Amino acid sequence: MIASISWKNVWRNKTRSAVVIVAVTLGTVAGVFVAGLMNGWVAQRINATIYTEMGHLKIQNPNFLVNEETQYSIKPIKDLTAYLDNAEEVDAYSKRSKIMAVAATARANTGIMLKGINVENEKQVSDVYTKLMPNAGTFFESKSRFPQVVISNKTAEMLRIKNYRISEKVMDSLKILEIPQDGMAKLESIANKRFITKKKFETAINETWTKSEIESYAPVLIKTAAYFQPRAKITFSFTRTNGEIGYQTFQVCGVFKTANTMFDQMSAFVKNEDLYAVAGLNANQFHEISIVTKSTDFKDIKAFQSKLSKAFPEQNFMTWKELAPDAGMLSDFMQIYYYIIMGIIFFALAFGIINTMLMAILERIKELGMLMAIGMKKLQVFAMIMLETVFLTLTGSFIGMLIGGVLISITSKTGLNFSSVEEGFEAIGWSAIVYPNIELSFFFGVTILVIIVAILSSIIPARKALKLKPIEALRIE
Amino acid sequence: MKVIEIDNLKKTYSESEVEVHAVNGVTLDIEEGEFTAIVGPSGSGKTTLLNMIGGLDIPTSGEVIIGGSNMNHLNGSELTDFRKNNIGFVFQAYNLIPVLTAKENTEFVMKLQGKSKVECEKRSKELLESVGLGERINARPNKMSGGQQQRVAVARALASKPKFVLADEPTANLDSKSTETLLDIMEKLNKEENITFVFSTHDARVVKKARRVITLEDGKILSDVRKNGGE
Repeated sequence: MIASISWKNVWRNKTRSAVVIVAVTLGTVAGVFVAGLMNGWVAQRINATIYTEMGHLKIQNPNFLVNEETQYSIKPIKDLTAYLDNAEEVDAYSKRSKIMAVAATARANTGIMLKGINVENEKQVSDVYTKLMPNAGTFFESKSRFPQVVISNKTAEMLRIKNYRISEKVMDSLKILEIPQDGMAKLESIANKRFITKKKFETAINETWTKSEIESYAPVLIKTAAYFQPRAKITFSFTRTNGEIGYQTFQVCGVFKTANTMFDQMSAFVKNEDLYAVAGLNANQFHEISIVTKSTDFKDIKAFQSKLSKAFPEQNFMTWKELAPDAGMLSDFMQIYYYIIMGIIFFALAFGIINTMLMAILERIKELGMLMAIGMKKLQVFAMIMLETVFLTLTGSFIGMLIGGVLISITSKTGLNFSSVEEGFEAIGWSAIVYPNIELSFFFGVTILVIIVAILSSIIPARKALKLKPIEALRIE
Repeated sequence: MKVIEIDNLKKTYSESEVEVHAVNGVTLDIEEGEFTAIVGPSGSGKTTLLNMIGGLDIPTSGEVIIGGSNMNHLNGSELTDFRKNNIGFVFQAYNLIPVLTAKENTEFVMKLQGKSKVECEKRSKELLESVGLGERINARPNKMSGGQQQRVAVARALASKPKFVLADEPTANLDSKSTETLLDIMEKLNKEENITFVFSTHDARVVKKARRVITLEDGKILSDVRKNGGE
C-alpha cells in the first residue's frame, strides 16, 4: 500500500517530476555512455596487450630481461616446449628469437627488435597479421629471393620507406571526395612529385592550399597520397652470438599498424630460418615464448604461471599484467572508476532530488498531518517519502540506462572515430577508433547506486516530515 | 455505555507571558450512539476539546478516557495506533488523498490496520454505497464536489470501525443541499448502526439535527442539552 501511494505521489505534479526525471535520465545516459566508452577503450587496450603484443604469459631467460643479448636463450627449450605441448591450459604458443638491431635504409636508420618467428605459430598467438595496412603487402605470403621482413607503419616512416605522391590515381580518388575545382587545380603544381617524409609533403600542401582547404582536405589527401616503396630493402646490423657484428638485408614484405605506436616502433618480424644463420643462432635457440591460454580468467593464468615456475624454476614466467602493468591496473580498477563517475553524477543530481522532494513535502504538510492523524505511523510516513524518492530517481535512471545501453549498442558496432587525435592516442597505446561496450552487471550496479543515492536524498525531506505534529500540520492552510 | 469520559480537562497556551485557557476544566461523558454537537463562538475551545478527545493534542491537565483507556498513558506511537483503531476523523476541508480514488481513500485506514484486500474492498464498497457514492467509487477527489468529498471522508472515518467519529466543522465548506445530504447520511448511520458522532460546529443545521448540544464558552461548558430524537 505504501509503495502504491508513493508511486502515485510521484505523478502528483507531473511537470516537477518530469524535470527531475529528465535530469536523472541525462545524467545516467552521460555516465553510462562515458563508462561504456572507457570500458571499450580499456577492453581494446587489454585485448591488444594480450592478443597483439604479449599473450597471456611470456617465458624468457631471466638474464635476457636484464640484458637483451642473444646468448641468453630459454633453456631447456625441448623440455619446456614438450611440457607446453602437453599442458591442457595452453591454447597456442609461439617461440621467438629476438635480436636488437639497427635497421638502415639509404636515407635513415633506427633501432629495432627483430623477432624471428614461425609464421603459422605466430598467427595463433598474435593478430599482428590482421593489422596490415591497405596496399601494404602481406604477412609473409608473397615469395621473394630475399629474406623478408614485416615492419610497422611507424618504422616505414622513420626509414623513409613510406612516401607521398599525388599520382593520377590519387587525383581520381580526390575527385570522388568532391574537392573543389580550384583546390584540385592548385595540386597540379605538386602532382607526381615524391615526398619522402610526411613533414615535407605537409609543407608542400601548406604552400599550395589555403588554410580552409588544408583544414578541410589535407588529412584525406595525406592518407590517399601515402604509399610504401615497393620491394624496399632494409639492412639490419646486429651483434651475433659470437660477438661479431652481422649484417643482413631484408626485403619489406608487409607493413602493419597497431594501436600502440611504441610496440610498432620496436617490432619487426622475420622468419626464424632467415635469422638463425646470420645471427649465429641454432634452430633451438629462442628468447621468448608467448603463450595464449585456454582460460582467460586471470586466476587460471596465475595458477598456470605458478605451475610453470615450479616445473622450470630457472626461467622467468610473466603474466600479461606483469608485462603491461598499466593495462593490468586498468583491468583491475576501471570498474571502480566507472562507479566513481556515476557516483559523482548522482551526487550532483542528489541536490536537485532533495530540493524537489522538499518542495513536495512542504506542499503536502496538511495532508501528512491528516495521514498521521488517521493512524499512519511516522515510520510509514518516512517509508512513503523514501520510496517516492526512490521511484522518482529510478524512473529517470532506468530511462537513462536504456538510452545509454542503446547508444553503446549502436556505437559498439559503428565505433567512434577520434582520428583527429589519433597520433596522441596511439603514442600511449590507445586506439583512435573506440568500440564502447559495457557489461550487464554494470547496470545492476548502477541500479543499486541509484537506490542508495535516492535513499540518502530522501533523508532530509523525510526528516522534515517526521518532525511534523499532526495537530500543527492540520492547521496549516 | 460510556464511550468517552472527560474529567476536568484543561488546555492552557502561553502567549507572550499571558496564559490562555483554551479549555478550562471540562468534565463530560459521551454515551455510545450519541449524536452530539459541541457549539460555541470562535475561541470557545471547541476544536481544542475535539483535538484532545481525538488524541491529537495533549491536555495540560485532566483526563480523557476512551473505552476504558486513559489517553494520558499512551506515548506517540501508541496514540497513533489508538487513533487508527478507535477514532474516525472528519475534517472541515475533507482532507482526502488527492492521488487516490474514493474507494482507495476509504480503504486506506483499513490497509493501515492490516485488513485483507478482500475485506477492504467489500467494506469500502458498502460504506461508499451507504453514503450514496456507490457509482463514484473510482472517482478521484478532484472529480467530485465538496459534498461528495465530505461523504467519502465520512466513509473513510467509518472504515476502521471506530468507537466514535469526531467531525470538526464538517459542513463549514458545504452548500445547504450538500449539508442536508451529509447530515441525513450521518444521522441515518447513527440511528441504524448506532455509530457515535461528536461534532464541533457553528452550523445551526447541525445543531438542529443533533440530539445532544454542548455549548462551550471561554473553555467551559455553558450548557449541555439532550433533546428527544433530534428535530
